[in-house]
Parts: sequence; structure tokens; C-alpha cells
Amino acid sequence: MSEKERKFLSVSGLKKSFGNGDTKQDVLKGLDFTVAKGEFCVLLGPSGSGKSTLLNILGGIDSADAGEIYIDGDKLEDMDEKGLTRYRRKHLGYVFQMYNLIPNLNVKENIETGAYLSDKPLDIDELLKILGLYEHRHKLPNQLSGGQQQRVSIGRAIVKNPDILLCDEPTGALDYTTSKEILQLIEEVNQKYGNTVIMVTHNEAIKEMADHVIKLRDGKIRHDIVNTQKTAAADLEW
Amino acid sequence: MEKKGISFGKRPGNPMIKRVWKDIWRDRKRYFMILLMLVSTIGFVSGMYVANNSMLGTLEENVTQLKRESGHFQLSEKADAETLSAIATGELADVVAIYRERAYSEAEDEIKKAVDEALEEEVDSQVRSAITEQVEKAVDEQLEAAKKMGQPVSDEVRQSAIDDALETAMSENYDKAYKDAIKEAEDSEEYIKAIDEAREKAHEEIDRKIDEKYTELADRYGLDEKFDAVPVTVYELFYKDVEEKKSSGAEESTIRVYPQRKDVDLYDLLKGRAPENGDEIIIDRMHADNAKIKLGDKISAGNAEFEVVGLAAFVDYSALYESNTDTMFDSLTFDIAMTTDEGFERIRGNTRANYAYTYNRAPADEYEEKEMADHFLKALITQVAASDNEELEIKDYVPAYANQAMTFAENDMGKDKAMGGVLLYILTAVLAFIFAVTISTTLEKESSVIGTLRASGYTKGELLRYYMSAPLMVVIVAAIIGNILGYTLFKGVIVDMYYSSYSLPAYKTIWTPEAFVKTTIVPIVLMLIINFVVIVRTLKLSPLRFLRNDLKRSKRKKAMRLPKWKFFGRFRMRVFLQNIPNYLMLFVGITFVMLLLSMAVGMPETLSYYQDNMGDSMFAKDQIILSTTEDDDGVTITTDNAEAERFSMTALERKDDNYNEEITVCGVEKNSRYIKLSRGYYENADDNSVYISQAYADKYNVRKGDTIVLSEKYEHKEYSWKVYDIYDYTAGITVFMPNESFNRVFEKDEKDFSGYMSNSKITDIDEEYIANEITEEDMLKIARQLDQSMGAYMVYFQYVCIIVAAIILYLLTKIIIEKNERAISMTKILGYDNKEIASLYLIPTAIVVFVSEFITIYLGFKLMNFFWKIMMMSMSGWFEFIMPFSGYVKEFVMVFAAYLIITVIDFLRIRRIPKVLALKNAE
Repeated sequence: MSEKERKFLSVSGLKKSFGNGDTKQDVLKGLDFTVAKGEFCVLLGPSGSGKSTLLNILGGIDSADAGEIYIDGDKLEDMDEKGLTRYRRKHLGYVFQMYNLIPNLNVKENIETGAYLSDKPLDIDELLKILGLYEHRHKLPNQLSGGQQQRVSIGRAIVKNPDILLCDEPTGALDYTTSKEILQLIEEVNQKYGNTVIMVTHNEAIKEMADHVIKLRDGKIRHDIVNTQKTAAADLEW
Repeated sequence: MEKKGISFGKRPGNPMIKRVWKDIWRDRKRYFMILLMLVSTIGFVSGMYVANNSMLGTLEENVTQLKRESGHFQLSEKADAETLSAIATGELADVVAIYRERAYSEAEDEIKKAVDEALEEEVDSQVRSAITEQVEKAVDEQLEAAKKMGQPVSDEVRQSAIDDALETAMSENYDKAYKDAIKEAEDSEEYIKAIDEAREKAHEEIDRKIDEKYTELADRYGLDEKFDAVPVTVYELFYKDVEEKKSSGAEESTIRVYPQRKDVDLYDLLKGRAPENGDEIIIDRMHADNAKIKLGDKISAGNAEFEVVGLAAFVDYSALYESNTDTMFDSLTFDIAMTTDEGFERIRGNTRANYAYTYNRAPADEYEEKEMADHFLKALITQVAASDNEELEIKDYVPAYANQAMTFAENDMGKDKAMGGVLLYILTAVLAFIFAVTISTTLEKESSVIGTLRASGYTKGELLRYYMSAPLMVVIVAAIIGNILGYTLFKGVIVDMYYSSYSLPAYKTIWTPEAFVKTTIVPIVLMLIINFVVIVRTLKLSPLRFLRNDLKRSKRKKAMRLPKWKFFGRFRMRVFLQNIPNYLMLFVGITFVMLLLSMAVGMPETLSYYQDNMGDSMFAKDQIILSTTEDDDGVTITTDNAEAERFSMTALERKDDNYNEEITVCGVEKNSRYIKLSRGYYENADDNSVYISQAYADKYNVRKGDTIVLSEKYEHKEYSWKVYDIYDYTAGITVFMPNESFNRVFEKDEKDFSGYMSNSKITDIDEEYIANEITEEDMLKIARQLDQSMGAYMVYFQYVCIIVAAIILYLLTKIIIEKNERAISMTKILGYDNKEIASLYLIPTAIVVFVSEFITIYLGFKLMNFFWKIMMMSMSGWFEFIMPFSGYVKEFVMVFAAYLIITVIDFLRIRRIPKVLALKNAE
């Protein structure tokens, strides 16, 4: 792996606070880390630790007060709003805790909303099969279970074959079994398509399946560990 | 660095486009309502434009094809050929020279008479003394001879002999001698010199007087102003105004009959054929419709009976104005007709010496037309003044551009177009706002989806285009259907409407790009702009705010504190506060509806008020204006009607930049029983103070003590009066003064008058001497005509207003409920029943509608009043827009009824909201 690939994503001196004056609250207090290309990286921490804020900043939908972020050599801070939109369009896929599907589009069409953004999207039918949604492709979101909806949302993010897949508590609203299924899916996607995955979670168990674990507390990095003995998602227990 | 085993597909088309159709289908009821409203308004307005343009195009074409006059004038009697050809030159007559010539020629007779009288006296005495001398000499010679023969001659004998001889000589010789002497004297230089001297003296006197009066003459005839000759062709266009009666019915109208028209002011025959003999007549199609006269019917025009063989539209009467000064045309009781010359002769009645003229060189534009009309009027005035017939007077002069009979229909159609356009734009704006509010609600609802899409890399432009698509598609579809309907269905409706008001020719449909632009491009642009602004404003927010469902612009985090009301009251207050933007829209919508309703309800109310009260406000039930105050034998025309009273009347003009209004000036007999001016006024007032009618005061905002300035219509002469008081008379713009003052001011004979008025019909004056008769019918013209041409539509218009109100209410209350669907679902889960929920969510709206109605009824009335005043200012006469209390109640009830219907729908909508909705995921 080249130096460039090792430092595919590099963050240094990242700071962010909300409010001002007495109500000012520092959320990120100077973060430095790198993520390698194709890595499965888990941002772990209790609620309020700043992990979602960090993810949003990495996703270009929130801005930092200080610090630098480089993604594949591009400096995020230099981009204007249009540039950021282009960046998200070209490089990022987003998965949220709430699936945020378009209610009056069916499964396939919802995935197409992602495919439309890429000049070279994945084959949708094949993806549907990988997602286990091929039989449901003509259904509307409200005809699906929560887990199925989250699969659609992952499909929508992954179909454009993004460099980075950002997942914000993707299993937060799901039960144990479904959560595991979703994690397996993300793992599969990561392995098959080689996207860099950055996943925010407060579930300690999930760190076992990651290549790289960054633990946050009070806006600081407490641990930055490379996990050499990964457990398959299917074998996770919590 | 693709991994092996990954298969790529093609980039799909924009899935959001598919979604637009799905969105439209999902919200089909809302879109259908909006589409319906847009289609009907666009269709109606487009139909109006097409009908208007086609009709105006045809009218314009007919100006040349049917040889419409450039204007007409009416003289007191038929003019001689010389005067007419002088008028046709369009040159100014040298009035000063003619006055001088007339004075000279009058003086010439006087001079000759005076000199001749002196001469005759002189010659007479000379001849007499010569004859006497001769006779005496002869008698003396005879007596001398007798004396020589011895006959004694006494002095008496001598005298007697002389007397006898003188008598004989005088009778035998005087005449010849006198004639010879006169002839000799007249040939003498002294005589010629005497005449010349006397003439010179008289001419000097005349010149002096004319010089003194020149300024006055120049002023009166505008002789010193710039003038270009306006050569015209003059055509005789005589007519008779007589009573028209349908043989079967008792409906009475005035019919204006013309003899055969050949060279000017032709007609478009809509049915039947032209008259071929003296028993046949063609009449105006519009009047025939109103009076239910059909082809083949017999009608009487005055004393003569005719068969109606044709129905026509005369090019000089697209609106049936009996007189150009009438406030409104009258197709109910006024008719235009044409028979043959022979038929015309059969009718007994006063022949009006009316002449049409056409400019030999057509004016380039309306400014030139006006200038030419002004110049021609000057030429006309001077030529008439210069006519050999010194009695000849101008009775009327109306250039085409000022002729309401020709221009009113066109102008009205123009106004309709403007009004229709404004209505369309207001409604489109209201609908666009409803769209915008809807979209704004949708944006809120889909906030997290939008956030996700933005986070995934969708640009603002893509989302903007997506959210703009539905409103645009709806408005484009509406414009297409509307335009198709405009050219087919609505065009016919509007044309029928025009045919039921005006005497219009057959028309050809003309492709009207203006209609397309104004009914398609403008609404689309309007929809585009309003939605663009709303959507862009929201989309400016960051994706994160969308993801967090945080779209509120104001940063108010804390809820507003409410007073300690019961729970339900506070809940409703929250609903109200949450929906303020929607309620504002509701208010605007209701204001719009109320303005329309104000017109729909107020117009018939106003008209019926005037129909009921106009008669009471006439001075006297019958008013007759005489064409002359003396009959053919020079005896003053009188009536035996005991209630009759003389009055004087003339018309002046109130000049204004926008509109010159004709003002009636009335001379009233002292202690008149019909026009009761105060006693103090008769005692104290001089010629400079007058009463004005209430209508005058209202229209032009004149108060007691103000000064009014009026001018002669055809001369540059101004009168200014102080307003002594306002006379309670609302039926006309009138000035009142005592008859004596009237005669002094207008330089009439002391005992002069214009006609009689009486509360009982004056029947004993020969029609020949009647110039005009004003009855209650005439006063009702305006109200009746408006009622006829608009009244029927107003009822439909009221229904349209209710529908518009219902649709606007439907669209806005739908938004309010949709916004609260989850909350409503949650309250259901909590155990509230449908009635309770309805009372929570529907009562705030009911209160808003209720309060808005109260405010907007007043607002609508004020707005309508404002438009009404503008309308009245551009026409002659005045009446106020009236809305009785019952009218307000009607408006209120209509809108509230619409609201109640919508409330039922809303209640059903609330009942249908499922309980599970609240428990479902945000999708």
C-alpha cells in the first residue's frame, strides 16, 4: 500500500464548537488521524462524544472551526459550497440511522436516485440481488421492514460506487438480528467493492469487525487502534 | 482500481422525473383543483382575448369596408349647396370680412335711402315751383289778352284760373318732369359725391366697431390660432327620430330612421335583405333581439308602418347611443333603422339635418385625428356663420373618435381585456402562492429525504428543478387546455356576451398571439417566480439542517407563552400559531374572493337601487325640449297642461385632461314647483352664483363656496361660477340658476326658455317642435342597460366566487391538516375521538375564516369602490357604488357556506387519518 493510499483520508488539528459566549461548547477538541484506502474504520464513542459531528464534517455537510482534512489529496477546507456538493457527489455515499427513503419511489427507483449521481454506477439488478432485495424491487418503502429499508438506503449509497461510505449509526434503529444482517452487508460491500467505510456507532461490539477503531470521548481521541484480528460480522455478539 | 467481479450498469435517467409524475398522482385532488381553476381562468381570459381581438379586428376592417364616417355634424336646418361646398373645403371662412360685408350691405341701403329721400324732396319742390311758374305765366298772358279786349279780370278769377290750370298741369306734366329731374340729378356729380361721402362715413363707423369686436370674434372662432385646412367630403345623412311600436306589443321605443345609405356609414346585414320599397325597413339586430322583433314583423315608426326585412349592424352604431352625451347606450328602447327614400318620406316628423363627413386625407394617428377634428370644427363654425342663411346654426358636432356609439364597444372590450388580464394574474398569483405554501410544507415533510439527497451529492439546482416541475407542469397543461378552450368554448361565450350588449357585425376568428402570451407566458412566469423564490429560500439551508428537520428561519427555540386558558383553547392557539403563513394566504385568498363578490353582489344591488330611485329623483316626470319656442306663425308655443312650467337648458363642458364631461345647465323659474332652490338664493344671488347637483359635488368633489369653471363646447368661451349650495339631485351632473340669470348669462332674450316640464305628460305640443323628450325611461337607461348586459352574468359570477372561495379554502385547509397528520394520528392513539380532534384542528381555521370575512368584506367593498370611481371618471354621469347591509350579509353567507362544505371534507379527511401513522417511521 502506497503512502498516498495509507493516508487516503487525513485529519489534523480538527476543532469544532457550537454556540458562543457562555453557551459555547467544544465538541471536537483537536483531532488527528488518518484512514487508509479500503479500510473499514469505526468511530466509537458514547453519545455526545462528537462522533456524528466528525462524520458530518468528513461528509462535507458541516464545517470545522480549525484543522485540515485531506481526502485523496484534496483539501476539504478549500472547497466552496459547489465544490463540496461535487465532492459528495463524486466520492461519498451516506447511510443514516433513519433510512430517509423517498416514500413514493419503489425500491429500485430509490436506488436509482443514487445511481443517477454517478457516471459509472454499479449494475442495479446485481446490487439488488446482493442486497437481497431483488424480489422486493417494485415495492414501496412503506411495504418493507426496517432492515429491508436500511438495505435500500445502503444500496442507494453504494450504487454509485463511492470512494468512501459514511454510515451514521446504521443499525441504531434495528433489532439484534437485523443489525447483524446489515453489518454483514456493509462488510460484504466493503470487501467486494473496496470502498473505504467510516462507520459511527456507540456499539462497542462492532469494533471487532473493523480494520481501524477510533475511540472518541469528550471531543478527543482516546484510542486509535489498528485491529489486526478482525471478527466477521456474522460472529459478533452483544 | 476496480476490483474484479464488479459489474457496472448504465447511468439511469433522473429518477426524480419519475417521481414528479408520482407526486402529481399522489396529490391528484389538489392538482386537479388548481388545474381546474387555472384552466377555467386561462380559458376564459384567452377566450376573451380571442373574441376581443377578432371582434376589434372586424370592427377595424369595417371602418374602411363599410365606409365609416370621420365624424358628423347636425345643423338647425338643411344647408344650401354653397354652404356645404364651403364646409367641404375645410377652410376657415373669413368671418371678419363677412361680418364687414354684411354690415356694409346693410349700411348701403340706409345710405342710399337717406340720400334719395333728400334728393326726392329737393326735386319735388323744384319741379313743383317750375310748373307753378310756367302755369302762372301762361294764365297771366291769357288774362292780359282778355283785359285788352275789355274784359275785366278780378284777382279771384285769376287765382281760380291759376288753380285750375295748375291742377291740370301737375297731373299732366309732374310725373314726367319729376322723373326727368330725378334722372338728371342722379347723374349729377353732386349726387354721387353725396352718396360717397355718406358711405364713407358709415363704413368708418362699421370698421371702428368691427375692430373693437375683433378680439372677441377671434377668440370665439379661434382665428388667431394655427390652422390647417381639413378638406372633407360631406354626405347628407338625415334622419327622423320617431316612436317605434311593435304592432303586437305595447313596448315603446325611439327609432331613428335613415333613408337609403349609399356612400357612407354602411351596414353589415346579419339577417334578411335590404329594403326594396317604401314599406320595408331594416333595423338594428341588437335592438331586435331585445325588443323581440323578428324578420317579417310589422313595426310602426311614428305614423308609418313597415315590415322588417332585415337585421343589421350599422357601422356608426356599435353601441346604441341615442345622443353622444348619454351616460349609457340603450339597446332596449332605442333603435336604428333604414328604409328607402320613399319610406323615409312617409314618416311624419322633424327631419334632422345631419351630415356625415369623411376626411379626404386620412389622419396618420389619433393625435392627428384629434387635431384635424379641432381644425375642421373651426372651419365648420366659421362657414356656418358665413352662410347666407343667417339663421343656420350648428346643433351637434361629433368627430368619430369622440363618438360613443362608435367607440364605446371598442373601449369596453379593451377594458374587459385589461380587467380579465388583471383577474388572471391575481388568481394565478394566489394559486402560485398556494403552490408555494404547499411546496414549502412538502419541503418540511421531506426535510430528511432532502437532507440525504443533498448529502449524497444532489445539487440545489437539481432539487429546485424537481420541486418546480409539478407547478410548472400543471400551469403548462392548464395553459394548453385553457388556450384550446379559449379558442373554442370560451370564445363563443364571450362573443355571445358581446352580441348581447352591442350591435356588432359578423366576425372572423383571428389568431391572437397576444392571448397566447398573456395567458400562457405570463402565468407560467408568475408561477415560476413565486415558486422559485420560496423553494430557493428553503433550499439555501444546509443539508444538515434538512437532516435535522430544522427548517425554521427564526431561531426562536422557546415556545410562546400562552395565557392560562383551558387545554383545548391553548391547543388551538398552538395550531393557529403554527399555521400563521397559511392563514395569511387564506386571508389574501378571501380578500380576492370578496373583491369579486363585492362586484358580483354590489353591481346588481346598485343597479336595482338606481332603477328604483331614479324616477323619484327626476325633477318632473315629463320634460320637453323644444326645437323652437315659436311656431310657424311666430306665436310662442304653449301648453294647456296646468302643471307645466318653463325651464331653460343648455350644455357646457367641464374640461379635464382625461375626460371632458358635458354638464347640463338649467334655468329654473322662480318658485318652481319642480326644482326648489332656496328663497334666499333668489333674493340674494347674482348671475355669478349657482346651485350644483349632488352628483356633481360627489363626482368632482366640489363643495359649497367653491368655484366651478365650465366652457362652451364649440367655442372658446368660459364661465366661472361660485357654488351657492348643493341641490339634492343625484341623477345628473347639473348646474342650476334662475331663468333670468340664465338668459342674461347666455345672452338670450329676456323671456327665452328651452322647454316645459310637468309631472303629467304634456300631450298638446306638436311633435314637429319637440327636439327632445326626457322621461323616466331615459334616466333609467344606464341602470337598465348595465343590468341587461351584465346583470345576468353577475348571478353566475356569484356562484363562480363561491367555487373559487371553496377551492382556495380546500387547498389551504388541506395543507394545514396534512402538516398535522402525524400529530392528529397521535391524538387518536391517545384516545381523542374524531369530534374532539376536529374541534382542535378545525375551529382555529373557522375562527380565522370568520374574522377574515369581516375584515375582507369591508376591504373588498373599499377596493371595489375605488375601481368603480375610476370607471365612473371615464364616463359621463355619476352614480355611487351601493352595497346595502343585506349585500354584506349575502357575501358573508356565501363564503361561509363555501367554508362549511370544505369543513365537511376536512372532517372526513381527519377521520381517515390512520392511527398507525404516528408509529411509523418518518417515511
